[in-house]
Amino acid sequence: MSDIKTRYLLVGFSVAGWWCARAIRERDRNGKIVALTKENGVYSPPLITYYLGNKVSTIDYRSGWMENLDLELVPGGEAKKLERENNRLILASGESFVFEKALIATGGLPIVPPIPGREVTGVFTLTTPRDMQEIREFMKFQEGERVTILGGGFIGLKTAEAFMELGVKITLVELANRLLQNMVDERGSYYLEKALERAGLEVIKEDTVSEFQSREGKLSGALLQSGKYLPGNLAVVAIGVHPNIDWLQGSGIELGRGVIVDEFQESKRAGIFAAGDVAETKNLITGERNVVAVWPEAVKQGKIAGENMAGNRLSYPGSLPVNTVSVGEVTLVSAGLVNPPAGDFEFLTTVSDDSYRKLVLKDGYLVGVILVNRIEKAGVYINLIRQKVKVESFKDRLLKEDFGMINLPAEYRKHLVEGASIEV
Amino acid sequence: MKRIRIHEEYCIGCRLCEINCLVKHSRSGKIIKAFRGEEPRSLPRVRVEEEGYLSFALQCRHCDDAPCLENCPTGAMYRDEETQAVLCDEDKCIGCWMCIMSCPLGVIQRERKTKKVASKCDLCRGEEIPVCVKNCPNEALAYE
Repeated sequence: MSDIKTRYLLVGFSVAGWWCARAIRERDRNGKIVALTKENGVYSPPLITYYLGNKVSTIDYRSGWMENLDLELVPGGEAKKLERENNRLILASGESFVFEKALIATGGLPIVPPIPGREVTGVFTLTTPRDMQEIREFMKFQEGERVTILGGGFIGLKTAEAFMELGVKITLVELANRLLQNMVDERGSYYLEKALERAGLEVIKEDTVSEFQSREGKLSGALLQSGKYLPGNLAVVAIGVHPNIDWLQGSGIELGRGVIVDEFQESKRAGIFAAGDVAETKNLITGERNVVAVWPEAVKQGKIAGENMAGNRLSYPGSLPVNTVSVGEVTLVSAGLVNPPAGDFEFLTTVSDDSYRKLVLKDGYLVGVILVNRIEKAGVYINLIRQKVKVESFKDRLLKEDFGMINLPAEYRKHLVEGASIEV
Repeated sequence: MKRIRIHEEYCIGCRLCEINCLVKHSRSGKIIKAFRGEEPRSLPRVRVEEEGYLSFALQCRHCDDAPCLENCPTGAMYRDEETQAVLCDEDKCIGCWMCIMSCPLGVIQRERKTKKVASKCDLCRGEEIPVCVKNCPNEALAYE
């Protein structure tokens, strides 16, 4: 088969790839873009659980804008190998592409620990439309369904949220002593657990599945480390994802946990960039390299990669873990360093029956925030973290009832608002 | 595009902008019904912020690179071709609050009625002048 030539090759076309394509098009109207996706089309990953829970009727992502992107989409295009010496990429199907600039945006793959019985019918992961479809079809044959969800992190909770809509009896099993380990502290988790229990969900902490037991190849229940047994023929392993980089072994791309990139989102191989859940970047606050697999960072990294692939030289200030979860009656937002190591950190908090707010400060700067239920000013706090605005002089006002832009230094406020050509 | 300009030096903190905005976005469009007959009451999408002698009315800036739009996973947040306003398609909104988390100005709110729809300034879709600007008695808001 002969090579297909393209100026830009996007390997993976989810949110990072999409915003990369858009950024390329703003600078380069005509350069050919080919986008590869393993899936059948362009979809929004966060909608998978909403779709399973019948809350949305499509998982399409901004399909109406595709025309403007003027790109060639290759569905079912799973990357298999990137040649070490050439800018040439080969697909599992055997097709090959020769490119000038490439974006690696192959996202993450679910982590499935080697639990005995993980291969039996009824044990699923839930990160792709195919997984979702398989779970839907499986459930059609079942009555009075019970589901065991292994993992009380972000994906575990999104999975729980979907099953709550389906009227299924849910047990959530988490190894740590709290849910959303990376997003909240124990108090934050407490509000979440209360809301889940009110919604009829069982939460088991400090325990994990030691074996998936089966009858005739079909799941019959999950045996926990504590000896507890959870009967049921449906389980979802939702521990998390790891960057999809195995196919890059031997390509000369420097790999850590993910594809290691510099501040321009460029890998060690010139002209090959990475963005989103597969990219290993510097953390905005700690400066440590890590993979921050959240939507807003994927957008930012994708845009910067796209600009730079099309000839610009923009730099990414660093990744900030940010996320929001709504389950049952609780909504929470988390950003930055919320469980800092021992050291010189200052904490500001407010606590009530149905809300909790915690700000983490270091040397007069905001570095982390947890908001439970009172989330309206979340973006203001997060932007103070991102822009590294010193909050020392107005920190006593940060958690006031009517906190807003007016409490911020005039210079910062005006800069923000002028950004959109307005003067306050 | 035309934008709402904020002149904080003229703002007297009377909150007529908030009241008019609330009525405009209520079901009845009538002030007494909007405040007394509609439960839960609509939210004003412009907010007067005050500290000491300073006050200003703040609503969505319809940013050029709008983070709420970029971070919306459903595509509910979109830019109106004609007015360039950033609007929320309430049918598509799933209430995930990524927009609230992304807005550096804190001007997106959860709709009280459903708790599932993001409520923000829509430049009073179709009106020649947004009602907050039209009803400002001291020209602290201008549409230009």
